[in-house]
Amino acid sequence: MNKVALTLGILLALGWASRIPGETYRPGQKINKDFASFAQEFLAGHCLDCHGELEPEGELSLHDLGPVDEVNAGTWRRVWAQVTLGEMPPPDMAQPAVVARLQFSDWIVGELTRAMRGKGGFRAHLDPSKGNFVDHALLFGPLPDGIELIPTSSPARIWRVTPQEHMTRLNELINTEPPYDPRKPGLRTHGDTVPTNHGGELKLYFGTDRIIKWQGGTVAYATAVKSLPAVLSTARDHGLENYPDFYTVNSAEATQILGVAEDVIRYMAYGPLSIAQPYQITDDPQSIADKMKGDLRGLPTSIVYSTKVKRPLTPVYDLMNDEEVTESRLRAAVDYLFEALTFRPPTKRESDDYLAIVKQSVDKLGKEDGAVLGLSSIFLDRDALFRPELAEAGEPDRFGRVMLQDWELGLAVNHALRYIKPDAELRQAVVEGRMRTRSDVRREVERMLADDSIRKPRLLQFFRDYFDYDLAGYICKDSKALADTGASARGQAHYRAMFDATASTDRLVELILQEDKDVVRQLLTSDKVVATKADNVYFGKRRSQAETAAATAAARKAAAELAEKEAAERAAWIKANPGKKPPKPKKKKPANVNHRVEETDLKGPRVYARVSRRSFGNGSMKPERILATVPADQRLGILTHPSWLVSHSDAMDNHAIRRGRWIRERLLGGGIPDVPITVDAMLPDEPQHTLRERMRVTRESYCWTCHKKMDPLGLPFEMFNHAGLYRETELNQAVDTSGEIIDSGDPSLDGEVADAVELIRKLAASERTEQVFVRYAFRFWMGRNENLNDAPVLQAAYRAYKENGGSFKALLTSLLTSDAFLYRTRSEPALAEAG
Amino acid sequence: MAAGAGAAFGLPLVSQNLLASPAANTTRKRVIFFMQNQGFDPKTCIPEGMDRSQSLAKATLPEPIQALEPYKERLHIINGLHGLHTSPSHSAFFGALGGYRGGDGVPPSAATIDYELSKVLPPTLLPHLCIGMDSIENMTTKPTIATLSASGAGQPIFMYSDPNQLYQMLYGGISTGDIRRQHEARSSVLTQIEQLAAAKGNSLPTGERQRYGQFVQGFKDVNGLRDRLDTVADHLRKFAPPVDERYTNPAHETDWHDVLLDLGISALTSGITNTLTIGSGRGEIFGAWKGLGVEQQGHNLGHMEQAGNPIWIKIRQYNSRMLVRIMEALESVPEGSGTMMDHTLIVYTSNNADKQHTNGANWPVMLLGNFDGAFKTGCFTQLDGKRPINALYSTLLRASGVPCDHFNMNEKLARKFDTNTGPLKELLV
Repeated sequence: MNKVALTLGILLALGWASRIPGETYRPGQKINKDFASFAQEFLAGHCLDCHGELEPEGELSLHDLGPVDEVNAGTWRRVWAQVTLGEMPPPDMAQPAVVARLQFSDWIVGELTRAMRGKGGFRAHLDPSKGNFVDHALLFGPLPDGIELIPTSSPARIWRVTPQEHMTRLNELINTEPPYDPRKPGLRTHGDTVPTNHGGELKLYFGTDRIIKWQGGTVAYATAVKSLPAVLSTARDHGLENYPDFYTVNSAEATQILGVAEDVIRYMAYGPLSIAQPYQITDDPQSIADKMKGDLRGLPTSIVYSTKVKRPLTPVYDLMNDEEVTESRLRAAVDYLFEALTFRPPTKRESDDYLAIVKQSVDKLGKEDGAVLGLSSIFLDRDALFRPELAEAGEPDRFGRVMLQDWELGLAVNHALRYIKPDAELRQAVVEGRMRTRSDVRREVERMLADDSIRKPRLLQFFRDYFDYDLAGYICKDSKALADTGASARGQAHYRAMFDATASTDRLVELILQEDKDVVRQLLTSDKVVATKADNVYFGKRRSQAETAAATAAARKAAAELAEKEAAERAAWIKANPGKKPPKPKKKKPANVNHRVEETDLKGPRVYARVSRRSFGNGSMKPERILATVPADQRLGILTHPSWLVSHSDAMDNHAIRRGRWIRERLLGGGIPDVPITVDAMLPDEPQHTLRERMRVTRESYCWTCHKKMDPLGLPFEMFNHAGLYRETELNQAVDTSGEIIDSGDPSLDGEVADAVELIRKLAASERTEQVFVRYAFRFWMGRNENLNDAPVLQAAYRAYKENGGSFKALLTSLLTSDAFLYRTRSEPALAEAG
Repeated sequence: MAAGAGAAFGLPLVSQNLLASPAANTTRKRVIFFMQNQGFDPKTCIPEGMDRSQSLAKATLPEPIQALEPYKERLHIINGLHGLHTSPSHSAFFGALGGYRGGDGVPPSAATIDYELSKVLPPTLLPHLCIGMDSIENMTTKPTIATLSASGAGQPIFMYSDPNQLYQMLYGGISTGDIRRQHEARSSVLTQIEQLAAAKGNSLPTGERQRYGQFVQGFKDVNGLRDRLDTVADHLRKFAPPVDERYTNPAHETDWHDVLLDLGISALTSGITNTLTIGSGRGEIFGAWKGLGVEQQGHNLGHMEQAGNPIWIKIRQYNSRMLVRIMEALESVPEGSGTMMDHTLIVYTSNNADKQHTNGANWPVMLLGNFDGAFKTGCFTQLDGKRPINALYSTLLRASGVPCDHFNMNEKLARKFDTNTGPLKELLV
């Protein structure tokens, strides 16, 4: 440490810490500095003392680290993460001035962007998992001297539609969804997304609203019914899934979309006749009994459709069912499809282009095949797959920003909330030139947020992305490990329960949003749960071995007593009725009681969850739920619900690291650097040891630097097993649920906690948690990470939230009327131009 | 362009010289996976009384695979692999070729072995082709479906079941009549889509142009593949099967099965592809073979015992005749100092392990061909049931020059489900 003290002394003497702050730092602007005079000096001043040539800390030597190039990019990336997060220099060393740190971080990003161009690029700083690399205190606290913010905006861009949005658009073409029913507000209705089915699969089904009879069970039904899988892909499953720059549409997807388009158009034209034989369409299945004989399971001919037309009848129907082919019919079909798929009317040029394609196809193939082929081209229009925010019209302000307007602004607002096309009022506003100002946006946002009949699936998607509670059904469990939890390991029961649990949590989120008071705290601490019958087990308690044995013995004893009582009654009856034959004892179904679980008794009023329309015959999900209260000492808010717990588990056990990381990032706003490639991130396979014991390997000093940010936050959730059941023992010993909040950024939060309930209670009361929530909402709706220039937007959104009693609607309205949402800049980000 | 060309088209631009020249003096390899659904009962392929590893030379093949008798010196019957971790009851779906847990409606969790091999084998115009055979109703209403092959997690590869669409895709450029008209109309539409898509990219900011460019490039690839196939039309004409009544007016589903196989074989012999996956029953629990005189169809077929069952004897014999057709076709094309078959491997098994309702404790497989001398042939190998089908896939990768300890299996799973690492030494020369 003497060497450290000496270095510090020299630095102070040289005035390093005070030299850089003299400059004005403007976030986002290129750092015009070079390696030798700037970066090398920073390294020498802050890094080389410990990361020098001899016995470097963490075996990372920086003494010969040269200017950024593709070879040393990995090392620079580590330096960037450590310095940006404030991990380095360590707290006991001299710290660079805030501005110096920011400049050094920006300089590295600029240099990595330059060096990696053509080598896959450098985009780490743009990834949502690095959103927290921006210092929370600088975003929500006072800025030190020397930092000058510039008015914010987002880059001009195109935003690929998500698989859910795409499916919901296509669904509008072939299915008529039920209108909103205010008496059953939870039921899925028009405007809700096409949900995944009970197998967790996102599929679009044709004509299920007309199926009145089918042969075979669930699997046969699924195979017989025409359906389309989701074509667009999503590569991410944790966190924010959909920044504009994540995805494109590759050729395999484009080719499939063309095939899907043909199926959709044929169904729009002919309904079930496009997939079934004419005899299959009848209201009297008996009348075709002769044709339904034999084993038709799994065949399209095993289905009977009613004669009642339920799909929307559109200009495509008119075109295909009219014998004559007229230009006006063709154009009407083109214009209708274009708007249905891009959510805006075509320009004259677009209409003419697609009309020409359709006409040519009809000329070549005749009306039926030609129109289908020609019209399917519209499904591949850029604006059917990407939503543009290009801000090509309008004058840039002095900062080079252009405000979105008309259709681009209308569709941006629509997309912020909805998956279907703008409603009549919004459309009218765009057409009449009333989507051009901030107040126009406020008017439309407030109108839509106030109207429950206008479904807003994107709100729910945000909460899914933020909490990650929707992954539970996809976590493949080891059968034995699952059986050990007390949950059913039979067939698909657990997975179905988890997909049901996702829908239930969705509904709970909606109910909390409906109240719109203290939303973050409610989500984290509500004692309410939307539940199915299976949840009596999942919200129950896993008994210890002794308790299980006692419960089993008690049940045996009760059964024996009952048998004895019945035998006595029988004997009494015989005695009272000499010579008569006693009545046969009633046949009893052997009781299948799960003694390993002390079920909870969830009770409450009926509510409904938004589940898919019938998709899989008897296997479909049921919407009926109850709104119940959970045991107070065992559960507290969404993080203690099985949907979240299982989503953060693996095949064999809990995933304390992932849970801890979630808390660190989503509640505390902390950042975790990427795992160094040299780390073999494996816990030992020791079934005789608890997860906590096996996690001892993360306590090695090299690992603990990062793991201390996660593990002590995840281990309090050991009060639940990996199916989400509450437990007091693990491997026949009292379960250790202790944990600790370390270096949270808010000293009042730091300290030990006894279990997850205490941890959650502490965090839910924290201002920081609410502010971090605002940051995530910002990212979701802006489609990018925040930077320091966004500080005023974040602070305004947080103020709106607080001043309106913790109103999510106020928070969202603030974000959607902010400069970050309204303005676009067409020039490239300055950092990317560096070098 | 037929619907659902699948991931095969999501490839970088390939040049004309990727069309494998069968006469070229280079060792080109190819692999064929034949996946019959409803299980592969070992009694239907292992000669009677054979219970330990030995030569097949003196044995007589059982009735269901008797068609392979003249080819048994090329045959390797393997019994005793397992797929316990793939949940194969009813079907492991993608898990059968992926070596991971699969299920109805469950997306693939990783790339499958056929796709992985297509990447490492010498490149061709269309590296991977999948065809699926089912009842005529299912093939008509769902002409493309993805249940068996995948290019990655959540990335299924679609198989073709309508021979008209497949023919159009492969041989549109040399077709006539209706197929020709369809081909030209589609070509024209796709060309115009490409132009419209490209025009809408012109005004994008630089960064966005690159991402959007991939979308436009996709059409260029598709149109490019078609153009490249058109430019080698004269070569393809020699291999393209004749289009007959069976395409447009099939008497039974087996007419389409037969012509689909013809198309698959022609894609190999013409050098268009190096990997062919055939899904007989399309990876599901249904399927029909009425053309063989099998009136029962679908799920019930899986509930029957296969050994000694006339229905399953017919289906397996039909499979075997198809395997013979593939071998005869490949033998007829000279390649290097021998024939195409010398550099080929056919993997015949089921997506359903040994039977429909199974835990996957035994997963019988037949190999045909030696893959340029890499595999032992003419023998029966009895394994101890402790190595998974993944080990077979590791072996295939090894024989293709790619080292692989555990295919699609992490250390933790491998500790539980595999007693060894690397290839199955019993299979390799």
